[in-house]
Amino acid sequence: MSNYTLEITNLTKKFGKFTALDNVNATLEKGEVLGYIGPNGAGKTTTIRVMLGILKATSGGAKVFGMDSWRDAVEIHKKIAYVPGDVTLWPNMTGGEVIDLFVALRGKHDKERRKKLLEMFDLDPTKKCRTYSKGNRQKVALIAAFASDAELFILDEPTSGLDPLMGHHFQQCVLEQKNLGKSVLLSSHIMSEVEQLCDQVCIIKNGKIVDTGTLDSLRHLTRVNMKIETVKPIENLATLEGVHDVIEERGEVDFKVDYLNVGAVVEYIAKYGVKKLESAPPTLEELFMSHYDTKGV
Amino acid sequence: MLRGTFANSFTVVKFIFRRERIVTTAWILALVLFTMGVAPAMANMFPDMASRSQFAASFNNPIMIAMMGPIYGADNYTAGAMYGGMMLLWYAMAVAIMNIFFVVRHTRADEQAGRVEVVRSLPTGRLANLNATMISALIINVVLGLLTGLGLAVLGIEDMGFAGSMAYGAATAAIGLVFASIAALFSQITSNASGATGLSFVSIGVFYMIRAAGDMQGNEIISCISPLGLVLRTQAYVQNNIWPSLVLFATAIVISAVAYKLNSIRDLGQGFVAARPGRATASPLLKSSFGLTWRLLRNMLIIWAVVMFILGASYATVIGDISSFIGDSPEYMEVIGVPVDQLAALSEADQAKLIVDSFGTFVTLMMTIVAIVPLINAIMKLRSEERDGRAENVLTRAVRRCRYMSGFVILAYVFSVIIQFLTASGLYVVATSVAGDANPFTYTGLLQAFFAFLPALWVMIGFTVLVVGLLPKATTIVWAYFGVVAFTSFMGRLVMPDWMLNITPLHFVSQPQPMQDFVIDYTPLIIMTGIAAVLTAIGIISYSKRDMITS
Repeated sequence: MSNYTLEITNLTKKFGKFTALDNVNATLEKGEVLGYIGPNGAGKTTTIRVMLGILKATSGGAKVFGMDSWRDAVEIHKKIAYVPGDVTLWPNMTGGEVIDLFVALRGKHDKERRKKLLEMFDLDPTKKCRTYSKGNRQKVALIAAFASDAELFILDEPTSGLDPLMGHHFQQCVLEQKNLGKSVLLSSHIMSEVEQLCDQVCIIKNGKIVDTGTLDSLRHLTRVNMKIETVKPIENLATLEGVHDVIEERGEVDFKVDYLNVGAVVEYIAKYGVKKLESAPPTLEELFMSHYDTKGV
Repeated sequence: MLRGTFANSFTVVKFIFRRERIVTTAWILALVLFTMGVAPAMANMFPDMASRSQFAASFNNPIMIAMMGPIYGADNYTAGAMYGGMMLLWYAMAVAIMNIFFVVRHTRADEQAGRVEVVRSLPTGRLANLNATMISALIINVVLGLLTGLGLAVLGIEDMGFAGSMAYGAATAAIGLVFASIAALFSQITSNASGATGLSFVSIGVFYMIRAAGDMQGNEIISCISPLGLVLRTQAYVQNNIWPSLVLFATAIVISAVAYKLNSIRDLGQGFVAARPGRATASPLLKSSFGLTWRLLRNMLIIWAVVMFILGASYATVIGDISSFIGDSPEYMEVIGVPVDQLAALSEADQAKLIVDSFGTFVTLMMTIVAIVPLINAIMKLRSEERDGRAENVLTRAVRRCRYMSGFVILAYVFSVIIQFLTASGLYVVATSVAGDANPFTYTGLLQAFFAFLPALWVMIGFTVLVVGLLPKATTIVWAYFGVVAFTSFMGRLVMPDWMLNITPLHFVSQPQPMQDFVIDYTPLIIMTGIAAVLTAIGIISYSKRDMITS
């Protein structure tokens, strides 16, 4: 038996001839926040739906709290809170009613917390769901999720309809849960959010995991952005090992260096009298793009 | 200014017809073909003046007049007078329903879905969408009226000439436009499509009742307040009045003008009735999977319960004269399934009793067919919840699939009992109040007759559960099967070979005679109950073992 909160092993899911997930592996340890990123249609939601026992794996599978996601779905659901990417609610019920129903279907009910979250997310619970915008429907699902006493939060693009302030409140809620030792799986398109919240990142493309690890370890595989100004012009910079995309402009040089070659490059340029040096690690966005851009690394 | 308000209306009209090419075409075809089918059938059923006059006489009582409207031309009750009197009111209401759906679909529903906003962002006038909808409604109703009128005229039925047919068609178009304008008005007032549709439907009901009250008391003014009363004053094939159509048309224009005005002074997406705030917290009843299921099905089930009670009651209104009414028409006897060969050997009293018994059996069967609809609906709700992704809201929480589905299944089973009880009760209560001591039905007899059909209803529930569980993408099978069951039960005896009758569970119910001393054959009922249980179980197990399908 593993200690992982979530363990996906060789998960494959086919819809007819279409392979939505191809041998997916991922793990999430207790107390960790895992960022699950990938473009539309890559298989993020399908993975989540298998984890929740809504879809049945074609082969392989997912274990949540060491239990089988399909067979023990109900036991698992008692300890998780889920926010779907596309929240559909009952048009003739109010937001307040839906929140209470959702919380009651899981178990415990914390009135104080519900009230606090309603204020925090600025949601009017007396309105019928049919009048809610996408963002407000997401708030309903988020409030129901954070009002419940769960061990694992599965959040599928939860902030895609929220404004930046609400997005900030959302991040606070996630950090609060993390500090309580809860685990979070966050599927997201908003890279800054993932960078801020996640310990681990898992990138999926066309149903396959293409990269996984901590943000730092992922960065090792990519390039550092550098911007320098030197006394003398640098000779043959573009021919150095690991240097790419050199652009010279008014005495300043912009380029990218493979992580492993940074030391050698810095040594080389020192000879030309460095006046200014800025270096930035690759953003998650660049990391992400590097996997999707067909011309990328 | 004015031109700008309506700019590009005709482009939107073209777009509306593009979107409507199937739905509205189907409505018009169905309505016209229905008209052209029923008119000759009715003329054949009552081929001579004597049979028609007797029919008119049997309908000439306050309750029937309240239900069907006044009888015009009774002293010379031609096939036309009969058709106009019996059909126009119901046809008008069917046309009203078509118009309400059409107008709400293109106004409030489109607005709610954000589609009107897209149109408005283009170089179209502020009122272009509503204007285009009403122009389209005008075209559709005129086409429908013309086709209905022409369709009736070309049938060449005696006493159903061109003038009468056209008056009937004109009345159809005019009443359609009135309800189109009413739907347009409610689409401005409420802020959501279901509210607009609901209020429009309520207006049909209210106008029907105003007309009923006026007609029953012979008060023309009250009747004519209601468009549905006014339309009957056309007296198609009797007087062929054109003024009611003109008044209706003028009414439609006035109501439309109000709708235009309201539309022009309100913000997009808003209504005039502010959405009432609802409960901030859920009632304890809602806080469970079953509570949610009840909440989802509650309104539909209550409406159906009322409808079934009224339906039972409406059949009972004819009970007084039923034996002479049916006994004089061999065609009726055949449809209802009176064992004609046994009739001759009986005394007059026993003949009447047998006819009434057969009528009771027939009514029970008809009501039971209608009762299948809400039961199928209740189970099919599971599928629409699943398709729209709402089932996941429940199933990703600590709720077992079989428990979730069982909520719907249990409600359907319980409701099958309630619905049969209410229909039987409606029938009995009204039959007693109309016929008094002459009511040939006993309450226990009726209850037994209706309850005998329960196992057949359960098989229908079981079948639906099976399909939803096993073949979630093919749920149309359920309605196709229902169509076959309804057709076989209604017409099957007349046109289908015996072996084919075996495909409908209703056939195995031993057609009990509701009066007295009848014997129910319990064997098929027990077998059917068993089949229903097996189908239900397989359906629930399959549902628990398959993917949730959101497409």
